[in-house]
Amino acid sequence: MAVLTVKDLYKTFGAGTPRANRVLDNISFDVRGQTFVSIVGPSGCGKSTLLNIISGVETHTSGQISVTSDDGKPARMGYVFQDPRLLPWRSVRKNMLYVQDQADDETNRRVDKYLDMVGLGKHGDFWPGQLSGGMQQRVGIARAFAVEPDLLIMDEPFSHLDAITARALREQLQDIWSQSKKTVVFVTHDVVEAVELSDRIIVLQPGGKIFEDITIDLPRPRRQTDPAVATLQAEVLARLERMKGMAPQVSAAP
Amino acid sequence: MSNPVIEAPPTAPAVTWQEGEQLARRASSRRRAKRLVLLAAGWVAMLLVWNVAAYYLPAGVLPSPLEVLIVMWEIVASGAFAANFFASVGKTFVGFLVAIAVGAPIGYLMGRYTYWRAFFHDGVTVAGTIPALTYAVLSLIIFGISDLGPILSVALVSVPYIAINVAEGVRGVDQSLVKMSQAFGRSPQQIRRDVFIPTLVPYIFAAIRMSFAVAWKVEALTEVFGGTNGVGFQIRSEYQLFNIDGVLAWMCLFIVFMLIIERLVLRQFENRVLAWRPEERVGR
Ligand SMILES: Nc1ncnc2c1ncn2[C@@H]1O[C@H](COP(=O)(O)OP(=O)(O)O)[C@@H](O)[C@H]1O
Ligand SMILES: [Mg+2]
Repeated sequence: MAVLTVKDLYKTFGAGTPRANRVLDNISFDVRGQTFVSIVGPSGCGKSTLLNIISGVETHTSGQISVTSDDGKPARMGYVFQDPRLLPWRSVRKNMLYVQDQADDETNRRVDKYLDMVGLGKHGDFWPGQLSGGMQQRVGIARAFAVEPDLLIMDEPFSHLDAITARALREQLQDIWSQSKKTVVFVTHDVVEAVELSDRIIVLQPGGKIFEDITIDLPRPRRQTDPAVATLQAEVLARLERMKGMAPQVSAAP
Repeated sequence: MSNPVIEAPPTAPAVTWQEGEQLARRASSRRRAKRLVLLAAGWVAMLLVWNVAAYYLPAGVLPSPLEVLIVMWEIVASGAFAANFFASVGKTFVGFLVAIAVGAPIGYLMGRYTYWRAFFHDGVTVAGTIPALTYAVLSLIIFGISDLGPILSVALVSVPYIAINVAEGVRGVDQSLVKMSQAFGRSPQQIRRDVFIPTLVPYIFAAIRMSFAVAWKVEALTEVFGGTNGVGFQIRSEYQLFNIDGVLAWMCLFIVFMLIIERLVLRQFENRVLAWRPEERVGR
């Protein structure tokens, strides 16, 4: 598990030029322990940029950010992307081993364990090209869990999948996450998905300010069909309707 | 809108799927049989023309297919073919290695940096359009009678193919895989070995397949004029003794075995290395 602290964070692309674009505006929050946090907002509001800053791929303009593991050491991070991003010339198992630092027996056992958990225990020797999109995305999820990260970062991991596959993977993700002690930062533009998965939802508005910070207190495991989940989803959607730019997604206009 | 016309399928559809599969199987084996018959007919026609020409031309100009076949057998039985064939193949492959050593870095620079692309582009294009014969002559001028001539001519012919394909491959590297590797803390060496090189391999195979078809002919041609061994050298020796049947026998053997390498060996090897590519498994 990790301790993530973000304080007074600003990010401006092309600062000092005429085309300066402020993407993140005074963001502060912190997350610790086995918490599932979603960052929600319309596309272009800076969600991926925030993740990139957390993971250290992108620099920030001002403010503080720190990610450490529980015991104060630098945090180990795992990533799940929008697309599976598997090396097509490596078998499923070798793809999982590719991001591991060691290749000992213990690592191999761990890789097999997570492959089993996503239901692909028998597919370790398949080429990625022989799997469906949903199966490939599961490999991507198993790969991220198998590095035993303190902080797991997921950027719209289900947005490319069909509704039925996405729903099954959301349930699977919850199960695996409940068994493993990990802090998760999950980005999505889908409020409904966020309510189902999260302990807490941080809503960004266009321009990159925090609009709302919502705590979701529902028992787990949650299922899309639970009436309690559905009620809360409607409630959160109603609260967000006040936000400009989010409205077109909320009202189901044809 | 007018009513669409729905035509019945040309043959009655099968009633069960077993029947359907059997119909499809039968149709495909009929097509295969037809192709084989035409292939055989082509060969028979070719040999017939050769035979007739041999019969009507003045004696000693064109030996008949049978005479050539006998000489071919003698060459193979004496062991001379294997020795010279492998000498020629060896030189072709050394030439390839040289071409990869030179062409791959050029291709890498072309694919990676726009200014290097500007620098090499026209040169590589021109080098690719120069007739292979020119390279053979150039190699002879440089090395005279030596094994190095054929190697150089193969290398010169192949470099443009390799460079252009490697450049294409470098531009084809999936940046999202590079980003994924970086996010998981992979080192630049690991990224080169596990992302760059595997992306390039299919392009290099394509380059080898394309240039091999030209290279072995240039290799033999260079040997004819400046070899000390190899199939081309044997062709010249027979020619100097006015053994036309010997010339033809060597030539036929060479063509047959090089085609086997080109069509079977290289393709098999490629299919094995590129087994991960779904489309590669549908060989012809
Ligand atoms: N590398 C970059 N350079 C300049 N602008 C960028 C860069 N990355 C993202 N942006 C801009 O930042 C804004 C937020 O992008 P992003 O974080 O990808 O949004 P989201 O993930 O919420 O859809 C967009 O307006 C985008 O154009
Ligand atoms: Mg994004």
